[in-house]
Amino acid sequence: MRKILNKIYLLSGYLSAIFLALIALTIIAQILGRFVNITIDSTETAGFSLAALTFFGLAYTFRGGEHIRVTLLTRLLEKNIKKYQELFALIFCILFTAYLAYWSWDFVYFSFIFDDISPGLLAIPFWIPRLSMSLGVTIFLIALIDDFIFVLNNEEASYVKNASPIFKDENKG
Amino acid sequence: MATGLSIGLFVLLLFLLSLGIWVAPALIAIGYVLLEFFTPAPVGSLLASTMWDASWNWALTALPLFIWMGEILFRTRLSSDMFKGLSPMLSRLPGGLLHVNVVGCGIMAAVAGSSAVTCATIGRMSIPELTKRKYDETLSIGSLAGSGTLGLLIPPSIMLIVYGVLAQQSISRLFIAGVLPGIMIILIFMSYISIRSIINPSLAPKEKKRYTLYEKIIAGKHLFPVIGLIFCVLGSIYGGYATPTEAATIGVCGALLLAWATKTLNWSSFKASLMGAVKTSCMINFIIVGAAFLSVAMGYTGIPKQLGQIVNQYELSQISLLIILTFLYIFLGCFLEGTSMMVLTASVVLPMVQTAGIDLIWFGIYTVIVVEMAQITPPVGFNLFVLQGMTGRDILKITKAAMPFFFLMMLGIVILVIFPEIVTAPVQYMIQR
Repeated sequence: MRKILNKIYLLSGYLSAIFLALIALTIIAQILGRFVNITIDSTETAGFSLAALTFFGLAYTFRGGEHIRVTLLTRLLEKNIKKYQELFALIFCILFTAYLAYWSWDFVYFSFIFDDISPGLLAIPFWIPRLSMSLGVTIFLIALIDDFIFVLNNEEASYVKNASPIFKDENKG
Repeated sequence: MATGLSIGLFVLLLFLLSLGIWVAPALIAIGYVLLEFFTPAPVGSLLASTMWDASWNWALTALPLFIWMGEILFRTRLSSDMFKGLSPMLSRLPGGLLHVNVVGCGIMAAVAGSSAVTCATIGRMSIPELTKRKYDETLSIGSLAGSGTLGLLIPPSIMLIVYGVLAQQSISRLFIAGVLPGIMIILIFMSYISIRSIINPSLAPKEKKRYTLYEKIIAGKHLFPVIGLIFCVLGSIYGGYATPTEAATIGVCGALLLAWATKTLNWSSFKASLMGAVKTSCMINFIIVGAAFLSVAMGYTGIPKQLGQIVNQYELSQISLLIILTFLYIFLGCFLEGTSMMVLTASVVLPMVQTAGIDLIWFGIYTVIVVEMAQITPPVGFNLFVLQGMTGRDILKITKAAMPFFFLMMLGIVILVIFPEIVTAPVQYMIQR
């Protein structure tokens, strides 16, 4: 189970990286296309890649301890109180992320039903790029629940353990 | 009603943040509360559709690319090259190699766009060198902390892209507007270091070695690749040949080429730069997307319009509004990081600023400088953390060292208020051409 979950997080991180490289590639295509008078419009490809980069990266970034939060007060807390604060913050985010995940699946479903087409030259069905949102948010939700269980069992949360050394104090306290 | 409601929401937001809730989910939560309890709008579907719309914003595509470019350059030998190239040129000025910190950060800022990267890249090389030559530690740490923040202002700057997206201003114009204020702040810092060193020569030992002009030019060749890259990236924007996103792509290619030429490019460094860029851009995008939802929610309630009316009602002058906002930002900067601070306040502050008749491009530059100041205010100042990691000194000492530079930036803002043309004139010139 642990192994599968870690693979999912890593995979969605890699997927996110591939979409970052894809933004660069479509822009290069657009620039080159201009020299040979072929119109390549990267507004949609780059935009959709950006969305995919953001949403697939959520869980990976979260576990890397890179999502910003204020630890000014919480780091002063005593260890056993700190556990409950951490659990509260996680459950709060789990609730809202679950809400977001539900509605983004709803959003994808209806763009599929109504055959929503993207407005640019590409004119692809909107549900395809929008799938990155619902999938990414869902993986993020799994990552949140995963860490909730970790903290509940008095173990160190991933976003504390993996934070980069410079900001480690910031997240850990 | 608007005032009470927005103050209430602001307090709720600060409360949620102080409990250690991540910034982006906190923004979504506030937006949810607003829509659910104060409007009849369908919250869930609005949430999904506004977040989606904000997430594939074309203007925002430049952001991950510039971040990636900085990450690639961070892993090259750029910092030692910068030191080798700059020190012969600057060593004769009063204050000697301390100026390498300022100018080096200025140049690095023009390729990196993030203040932590700028600060770390230059500091990695200059701190050991300056310590070895017995320069005053306080002044060398302070100048690095202060100049490191230039990364936020000198284009291509991540902060200006974020602002451009929030305020719906042209990113190219913001980039043009950012250059002169950036140079101005560099000059202010350099003058300060010179004056301090003239008054008290023990702060900066005289460089024994004299360089001939020929040697300076030879040393200058270390700088050519970076200067060339800056020229290509910014030149293509200023010349009107490329959009910021295209320029960023050119920058990524150039940075990869530079890394390849200096033999620092391999699979693991490539992968590390890409994954590093993913984390930073995902973090920023998530906040922006969350804020987009909040500002749509605010729009539904009509708060922004009413806040604008407050400015008229109390006849707030531009100056008094700016003074209030400066204090607000410095206060927020004590516990929030730069991007979040700007994003959090945008939906409330921008309508007020607009009603007061302040130019939004000018305000962008102003905000970025105030956020820069916030980067070196304790207890949350990212540059302070970076320097703490590098020098091993405690945060109090670093803060004290950075304080003079905080006030120098304040001076910079005052100059910009008195002479707004420093920001607006280049943009005007650009539009007319």
